[in-house]
Amino acid sequence: MNSLMSNHKNKPSPNGKRQHKSSTRTYSIPDYRLEVPDYIVRQVRSGDEFRYEVEGDLNTPVPPIRDSNYLSKQQCIEIYRYMLLNRRMETALENLYKQGKVVGGVYFGLGQEACSCASAYALDKDDWFAPMIRNQGSLLVRGFRASDTMMQYMAKAGSPTKGRDGTSHFGDIEKRNMVSPISMLGDLIPVLSGVALGARLQGRNIAVMTYIGDGGQSTGVTYEGINFAAVQNLGLVLFIESNLWAYSTPSEMQYRVKDLAERAIGYGIPGVIIDGTDACQVYDAAREAVERAHGGEGPTLIEAKMMRMKGHAIHDAADYVPKPLFDYWKKRDPITRFENYLVREKKWLSAKENADLIAEVERVIEEEREIAVNSPMPTPESAEGGVYCEDGCHVIKPKYGLPKVRTTKSSAGPKQTEAAVHLK
Amino acid sequence: MPQLTYLEAIRQGIWEEMEKDPTVFCLGEDIGIYGGAFKVTDGFIDRFGPERVVDTPIAESAIVGAAFGASLTGMRPVAEFQFMDFIACAMNQISNMVAKTHYLWGAPAPLVLRGPSGGYVHGGPFHSQNPEMWFVHNPGLKVICPATPYDAKGLMKAAIRDNNPCIFLEHKYLYRRIKEEVPPDDYIVPLGKARIARAGRDLSIITYAALVHTALEAAGALSKEGIEIEILDLRTLAPLDQEAIVQTVRKTSKVIVLHEHSRTGGIAGEIAAIINERAFDDLDGPILRITGLDSAVPFSPPQEHHYLPQVADVIEQARKLKSY
Ligand SMILES: Cc1ncc(C[n+]2csc(CCOP(=O)(O)OP(=O)(O)O)c2C)c(N)n1
Ligand SMILES: [Mg+2]
Repeated sequence: MNSLMSNHKNKPSPNGKRQHKSSTRTYSIPDYRLEVPDYIVRQVRSGDEFRYEVEGDLNTPVPPIRDSNYLSKQQCIEIYRYMLLNRRMETALENLYKQGKVVGGVYFGLGQEACSCASAYALDKDDWFAPMIRNQGSLLVRGFRASDTMMQYMAKAGSPTKGRDGTSHFGDIEKRNMVSPISMLGDLIPVLSGVALGARLQGRNIAVMTYIGDGGQSTGVTYEGINFAAVQNLGLVLFIESNLWAYSTPSEMQYRVKDLAERAIGYGIPGVIIDGTDACQVYDAAREAVERAHGGEGPTLIEAKMMRMKGHAIHDAADYVPKPLFDYWKKRDPITRFENYLVREKKWLSAKENADLIAEVERVIEEEREIAVNSPMPTPESAEGGVYCEDGCHVIKPKYGLPKVRTTKSSAGPKQTEAAVHLK
Repeated sequence: MPQLTYLEAIRQGIWEEMEKDPTVFCLGEDIGIYGGAFKVTDGFIDRFGPERVVDTPIAESAIVGAAFGASLTGMRPVAEFQFMDFIACAMNQISNMVAKTHYLWGAPAPLVLRGPSGGYVHGGPFHSQNPEMWFVHNPGLKVICPATPYDAKGLMKAAIRDNNPCIFLEHKYLYRRIKEEVPPDDYIVPLGKARIARAGRDLSIITYAALVHTALEAAGALSKEGIEIEILDLRTLAPLDQEAIVQTVRKTSKVIVLHEHSRTGGIAGEIAAIINERAFDDLDGPILRITGLDSAVPFSPPQEHHYLPQVADVIEQARKLKSY
């Protein structure tokens, strides 16, 4: 497998200067996939109604998992366990919803567990990340408990936001280095770039990972955030989760490029395409991007191709999705495929070990569910307070060390240019 | 006369205008085959086609900018925001481009920016906001907040026909919860005219949208104690019907302003100032405010309940003011 670095000819050196300028354009977008699906979704009129139809070859065989260049057997099993936790946690949430214990809706990452888990797994401890709503698996990898997310959904007093927000909308700037998402799509991207900027001012090149959907990437702030990281050469690792749908809108109606990874060319940064249902491909691409970030080599855009296997949220039956698409991607279930790979192909897990692992995961989720269910609802009065940081609730200090300040021998003060002032 | 929900009335208003006027068209996210997140435009694409029911990428700035651009050619766009919270993403286009265009270069912007706002449905901080004051403080925009199905249809039609940019805030709590007879005919409710939702002599509650119903419920309870409340439904916050405000103060001499959005910088402060300027001598007590708290709208039901004005708050404050 080619690494990203060799594919990006015009890459800047760590100090941000171009190493060379070639007169021909030599960018390419590596594609790590072992299969390139060939279909498109169209809006068609049928009788008096409009609906979506899929056209193309949907009978191709399921590709194998690509061997990782980096992951050990133990690491693969650990990622697999997180993926199981991710899915079982969401099943538990679905049940809690049916029991009327969830406030609002439930969002699922079904079919996207490899992307959430293997990506976050590639981060080092000091790196930062921010999940989108479907990346509930990333939270588990980064050390949050399933009960944290469950309590968010149930609006419990014990939730990370103490009831003030739901879903994966929480963060932790102390230990787990996670920025809380907001609902507005794309807004995390410049924020994560800023985290990398702050760390760099403190002498550290860190990786900052976040995600955006095939729909969310249409926002203007996505452009601003990536371009900012590109120009400043910041260690942004941006996963574009191309899961074919943005609520009810097929990706064909969001953009005109063939693959969103191509956008990287426009930003002047490396871009890569991977199969988002293959945990090894996700990890390898993420790890290479994280290492580029640590080396001060700037941002990377990773397009993970997969399919949102449920509706937008629990209320949405996704009737608008052509059925054959679900069938096609159901065969590419990231957990089934990884399980096959570990148990049958690599024989890294015996059937018994696999069964034990699944049982252990189920036990953990059941315990977590208990914790979440038993947490009380917040008091009404807990709605008050905390709007401002005051009374010493936080001490703000540089996380990675005091920025080194460059001083020169010049004793001159600030300049006072009088001429050419725009508005007098 | 058919009974329509608030949502159906809005739908009918837009539909009728599209039938009547070929320059009216819709744009927004998921509004086509899906019919919009709340199904306001359900069936529109089948009737009017994807040319006039434009499914856009997720790009609020582009939606507003494109709506404005189309309006410059004589079209009347109706743009949907999946939730009004997301209109913040288009704030620059709205505030600096659309609101100022007529004043600065004489180009009108006949467009409607519509979508669901408001709380009481546990939507959390990003799906419950009442952003009306962001727009009230932008001269050039009209801000419309209907409380009833009849008004929702009539105000929508008026907004579409208006030559100015209109922010049309549909209260999502009301969408499917209230129903009333709505004439199937072509009628409008003029922008800038408040209505008396309930006549009374003892004190006035000035409010709009979902809280009109809260005030009505409180008024029903207070009536049993012999306190007769007058409720003024503002219908639009810009233009604000100052005359109606002054008249109700003259009648009852006591005023509560009731709104959902945060207290500081809210419409209550503006209304209190207008009363001071125009009807100070008619007052027989302090102007009271019942409002949302000065924070984001919290998600958890007990917290949201505490944040938002409730019937009990209205009853308590009304008793207090009555005995002042
Ligand atoms: C700026 C903005 N506009 C609209 C929305 C409403 N909305 C929430 S999710 C969504 C679709 C997102 O699709 P995509 O980015 O592809 O992510 P996916 O749900 O497929 O993971 C929309 C339109 C939003 N959250 N933010
Ligand atoms: Mg998507």
